[in-house]
Parts: sequence; C-alpha cells; structure tokens
Amino acid sequence: MPHARKNVDKELAGFSRCGQADPAEVSSAIGFHCAQAQPLRRYRYLIGFALAHLLLVLTVCLRDTFATFALAPTILPTALKPFWNGADAAASFVLGEDLQLGNPARNVVTFYLNAAGIEAGYGFFAPNVPSNYKLVFELHYADSRTEYELPHVADAATAFRLESLLDRISEVSYEPMRQTMFQMLTYPVWQRHPDAISVRAVLGYVIWPSPEQFQRGEKETFEPVYAYDFDLRPSVPSVARP
Amino acid sequence: MTVRSTFQRIEQFLFYRESDRWVSVLRIGLGLQVICLSLALRKDWTYLLSNGGRALISRDLTEAALNAESSFIPRLGWLIEIGNWLNVPEFVTLWLAWLVLMLAGCLLLVGLFSRIAAIVAWFLYLCVVRSVGYFSYGVDNLTIIGLFYLMIAPLSDRMSLDSIFWHRSSNRDLLPFVRRILQIHLCLIYFFGGVSKLAGIGWWNGTSLWRALTVPPFHFVNPDLVVRWKMFLPATGLAICALELFYPIFIWLRPTRTFWLVSICAMHLMIGLTMGMYLFALIMIVLNTAAFGPGLLRAKNPSLERHVAAHV
Repeated sequence: MPHARKNVDKELAGFSRCGQADPAEVSSAIGFHCAQAQPLRRYRYLIGFALAHLLLVLTVCLRDTFATFALAPTILPTALKPFWNGADAAASFVLGEDLQLGNPARNVVTFYLNAAGIEAGYGFFAPNVPSNYKLVFELHYADSRTEYELPHVADAATAFRLESLLDRISEVSYEPMRQTMFQMLTYPVWQRHPDAISVRAVLGYVIWPSPEQFQRGEKETFEPVYAYDFDLRPSVPSVARP
Repeated sequence: MTVRSTFQRIEQFLFYRESDRWVSVLRIGLGLQVICLSLALRKDWTYLLSNGGRALISRDLTEAALNAESSFIPRLGWLIEIGNWLNVPEFVTLWLAWLVLMLAGCLLLVGLFSRIAAIVAWFLYLCVVRSVGYFSYGVDNLTIIGLFYLMIAPLSDRMSLDSIFWHRSSNRDLLPFVRRILQIHLCLIYFFGGVSKLAGIGWWNGTSLWRALTVPPFHFVNPDLVVRWKMFLPATGLAICALELFYPIFIWLRPTRTFWLVSICAMHLMIGLTMGMYLFALIMIVLNTAAFGPGLLRAKNPSLERHVAAHV
C-alpha cells in the first residue's frame, strides 16, 4: 500500500507540472476515491462492462447512420457520400467486421451484439418511409386459366414480419439464395393448388401516390423487380428467371 | 470542477438512492410483452419456424445465414437437436418452446421465480428471433434489449410474488446503475432515430408521415381522412423528429421531463393505434416508463421523495 501511494504521488507530481491541478487537491480526491467512493471502486468491473456495452451501442448506431447517409437518398450533399462510406467502414472496423468470418474475436463480438439485441441501429422509417414490396403468385392451369394469389399469414402481427421478409429478399444480392427463397415461398402456394401446372412469383414495389395525386384519384402502381417461373409438372425442370 | 467533485458527481449519477419501482415496471411490462408476442405468433408459429416444406422460409436457410455470422448465436436449431436426440419430433419441441416462453412471460408478470423467468424468456425469445431471421423487425430487438436489462437487473422487486414468498434483492446498489444504462441506451436510440429521419426529405414535407399512415400493411387510417389534414403532415413529421432528436437533452431536465416522457409515450401510442403496431408501441412505452417514469412524482414533490427514500 505505501508503495502504491508513492507511485500515486509520483504521478501526481507529473500531473501538477502540466498545470492542471494542485497535488494536494488531487491527492485528497484520490483519498476520497479510496475511502468514500466505495460503489465506484466496488463496481469498477461493472462500470467497465457498462462503458463497453454503451460504446458498442454507440458504434452500431453510428455505423448504421453512416450507412444510411451513404446509401439512401438524403438531403445531405452528395459530395459527402465518400465521407459517410469511410465513416461507415471505420465503425464496421471497430466492430470487428473486417476480421475473417471464423475469427474468435469477431465471433465473440457478434455473439454479444446479438445476445444484447444491439446488433442493428434504430433508424425506424428513416431517412424515408420506404416503398412497400408486394409478392404476387400467378398460377397457370392446363386449361389456360390464370389465377392470382398473395402470400397470406394467419395473424395481422405476422403481416409486419412478411413485409420485413419481402424487404430483405429485395436486398439479397446473391442470386441462388434469392431463387431458393422464392422457391420456398412458392411451395405452399403450389400445395394449395396442386392442379396448377406452373407458378410465376413476381416481387415488385408499390409506388404509392402522394396526397395530391391521391386527391386527384390516382391509385398505387406495381413495379415488378424480380420474377421467377416454376414449372410444377413432373419431370419438367423448373425454370427461374430473374 | 475539481477531480473530487467529478468523482462525487459520477457516484451520485450512478449510485444514488433508488427504489425498485422501475424494475417492477420493466418486469410487468416485459411479461405482458412476451405474452402478447407469443399469442400473436401462435397461429403462425410452426409456419415461421419449421424446417423444410411446412415453413414459409425454411429455418435451415435462416440458421445457415446465422452460422455465417457466428456459430455462438443461440437458435432454435439447438433445441430441436436436443429434442431429436431425445426422440422428440420437431413440432413437439417447437410447441414446447412456445409453451415455456408463454409460461416465462406469465411468471414475469406476477414476479414468481423472476430471475429464472427473465433468463429463460431472454434465451428463448433470442432463439426465436434469430431463427426467424428474415421475418424479424424492430419490436424483436427492442424486446431482447428489455429482457437483457431485466436479466441483469437486481430482482426481485417489492411488487413481485418472490418478495412475498422469499426475499427482496440484496444488492440494491445496482438498482440505479442498471437503470442508468437503460436510460442512456434509450437516449442513443432516439437521438440516432431523430438524426436519420431528419436527413430524409420525406420528414420535412410530410410524405413520410403520409406513407407511414396509408401504405399497407400500416393502413389503419382511412387515407381520405389523412389527406383532409395534409397541411399538418410536415409540422407533425418535424415534431416527431424533434421529439426524438432532443430526447437525450429534455428527458434529463426536470422541468421538461414529464412533458417529454408523456409526448414520446403518446407518439408510440399513436403509432400503435394508427399503424397497427401494437406490440412495438407496447415495448417502447414499457422501456420509456421503466427508464424515466418512476420518480417523476418524487421529482415534483420533495416531501414525497423523503417518504419514498425512507421506505427504500
């Protein structure tokens, strides 16, 4: 303990030379820290954990905000896009996203972010409320009849989840993955309509009229983005067409 | 400011005398949230979480994507594997998981075995959310955040059955500490939400609010009614941005705290009523009320503060 006190005094002398504080005052503060500020001392590890936790929350928020500014249309000058991209990359680096996938440090950080529910930022409906996506199944029958169907869920709360799924499918850039997802979504439709010979699944976004257009009587329009054809006849391979 | 007073201020900020009422609010609110979420997912439970042809998107695909991120993230696949090892079919394991989640929610609501219930609810809900992957949205992460803080908070509180049958938490120093983390976390959520919204032109000219109120699946209000009040859309949109952006300032100031808390809860209530996002509204109101609600009356009434302090 006296040795530790000697070290503290040595450090305080250097601190004082910077002209920032009077050694007596700092020494008294440290005395206070040791003697009176018990919770601070007793829970120093917890305080460290809380700081690390909140720093992770802050970094994730910054990463997502910079990514939003870099990728989405905003009122900010387009000249700043490279800056936002750089800032996004810096925040991702802090979160260990540049490390290889199997890296233990990256695994641990990713696990913690997921476990605490802090792996994503909080830009709900930001910077703008996006276009909503719609998935339409076009069912073709042997007698040239065509029917249309929408994916359906049993509960209204799941409808928000379906919306979230369609948003994410539109963002999938890996073509085989997207095709697999379309196949999975089409399968229950085919089960409900086993006599259909083919199904075309069309994902598109709905362009919603502005208040003024709505007042003029204009309706929403559907803009197809991806379409996949699945041939359901036995022995005919299914055809996918992005 | 001296070093001594800085230490004092930090200590006063993190370890002040605090009642456990905020834990009660968080526990009861999250219990209710877990029950409501379980009930909302009940009809589509196996449709969302099964493997293979029975599911809308096979769980295998979602969990493979999750595995690419980290193999440590909890998922329902782990429980299904344990079930398989015990010769329990997948759908039975899935329904058991649902039942246990529901039970954990009920236990949280009444405050029985609060700690175990909080850990089980957090773990199971985390598994569900990570396994539904592409189907998850904001409400899921916010529920996990709430359950995470509840899990580490000092339990049990005086309003729980645990405190009647057994004893109250012994480590009461941590009551204000965990509450402060939740408060700062909420400030970060709202600040970044506000900044991101302000960057979009739609929140300045009212388009975003128009779309939020009328575009499916949020179209709970008749568009004709919204269009009749369209002149208020830009001001309302900016007011929402201001509420979120300045939340980290005005929620801490005593004269504005009540107004800000009531306004932000009213905003979430309106989101619930006009957009149909009841569960999102509920979790945000619970988190806000737990973080900044208890103590509001005390702040306005020093004699009440002394009375509460005497009973902490």
